[in-house]
Amino acid sequence: MTDALTAARTMVTGLVGEQAEGWDRSGVLPRELLTKLGSAGYLCPHVAAAHGGLDWDSARNGQFTAHVGSLCSSLRSVMTSHGMAAWTVDRLGADGQRAALLARLTGGDLAAVAFSEPQAGSDLSAITTRIVRDGDYVVVTGTKSWSTAAAYADLIVVFGILADGGAGAVVVPATAAGVRVERIGDPLGCRAAGHADVHLSDVRVPADHLLGGGGQFMPLLVTTALAYGRMSVAWGCVGILRACLSAAGAHARTRIQFGRPLGSHQLVAKHLADLLVAEQNATRACEHASRCWDEGSPDQVLATVLAKHVSATEAARGAAIAVQVLASAGTRDGTPVARAFRDAKCMEIIEGSNEMCQLLLADHVLAGV
Amino acid sequence: MEAMDSRAVQHDVADSGQVEKEVLAFLEAQTKRSWDPQVDLFASGGLSSMFAMQLVVHLEQTYRISIRGADLRLDNFRTVTRMVALVQRLQGAQ
Repeated sequence: MTDALTAARTMVTGLVGEQAEGWDRSGVLPRELLTKLGSAGYLCPHVAAAHGGLDWDSARNGQFTAHVGSLCSSLRSVMTSHGMAAWTVDRLGADGQRAALLARLTGGDLAAVAFSEPQAGSDLSAITTRIVRDGDYVVVTGTKSWSTAAAYADLIVVFGILADGGAGAVVVPATAAGVRVERIGDPLGCRAAGHADVHLSDVRVPADHLLGGGGQFMPLLVTTALAYGRMSVAWGCVGILRACLSAAGAHARTRIQFGRPLGSHQLVAKHLADLLVAEQNATRACEHASRCWDEGSPDQVLATVLAKHVSATEAARGAAIAVQVLASAGTRDGTPVARAFRDAKCMEIIEGSNEMCQLLLADHVLAGV
Repeated sequence: MEAMDSRAVQHDVADSGQVEKEVLAFLEAQTKRSWDPQVDLFASGGLSSMFAMQLVVHLEQTYRISIRGADLRLDNFRTVTRMVALVQRLQGAQ
């Protein structure tokens, strides 16, 4: 299995090459790249082999996610959204739905998840998208904001409310009548991740696109789906930190000022130490959370939020340090540390902002545990 | 003898009294307070959706079941008694 991880890393390294800067500048990832990674199962490697997946545990998936994140956070973000879609299908879908949809998601079709709405960001209980049963169909109406990877997606997993007040996740083909995907042209970070607003106007899809028949409890639905995304973002932030460490280390070894390498100036050396601490903190938090997932421990719920929060804040701090070390060389848009600086800031917002994570962590303390 | 026979038939389904005792012990360990098997755990001032997910993972791991799809309804986790019924139903279905 270690060989499988090595092979995956080698393949992605080769496919990305030196192109991440160009993708960041143009705001677009080549579809061919996504199709190739998707058909190899690399966009959702946790999926069971029986459904065409690679059956990777959280630890292995995490190491791979960190590697992709070290190369290109836009690509890693597509992996996060596609992976969450597959995870949601796996958790919520009936057997037939799982078999049909997961085969597509490991076969080159791309998927995205759509939670947020104009009036429902951190407060997902305010979701107003309606899913109405109509005979053999369900009709979906609403507006979703900032859906990562939706601009590339063939299938969009839309979270909404049923007439009886229960929640549901419905798989909507991007080509269905009434779907309009509006790409967000100027995101601060992860610029090529295909963020889009998704407008759904009386979209009719067969009723068997409603995962598990619907009727789940919205907070539990969202918490379940987000858990995968939080792990993916957390490991992606480890990747951001590794890219920063590598760029800052190389620069501090080779750049000469005042007759000696930058790294031998004590104030710069402190930055390097801080960056290493950030990368190690994030790695340990992620490793612990993945271990909880792989052992099936209920502690995974808290450990996931903790890992996401630690990794995102360390990445934002570490990326700012790396730009400082590279100075003018790091302030050119598109370079690894400049991308890291913008991408990491977005990671303090997505999949549970710093403040939402802090509230969840504080709840845990207040519960007396 | 009848009890033994029924256990022999349903050897994969855990005893409901035992499951109830174990779930109550888990709740008590996690929340540092005791609970009645019939009380609504998620009523106002009760437990969070994060805790609901902890319960899902705990029940899956402890009883080797998989809680998916429509079963992720709050009704299945609202009381200890409901959770015991869910565990028995899913174990029986396997």
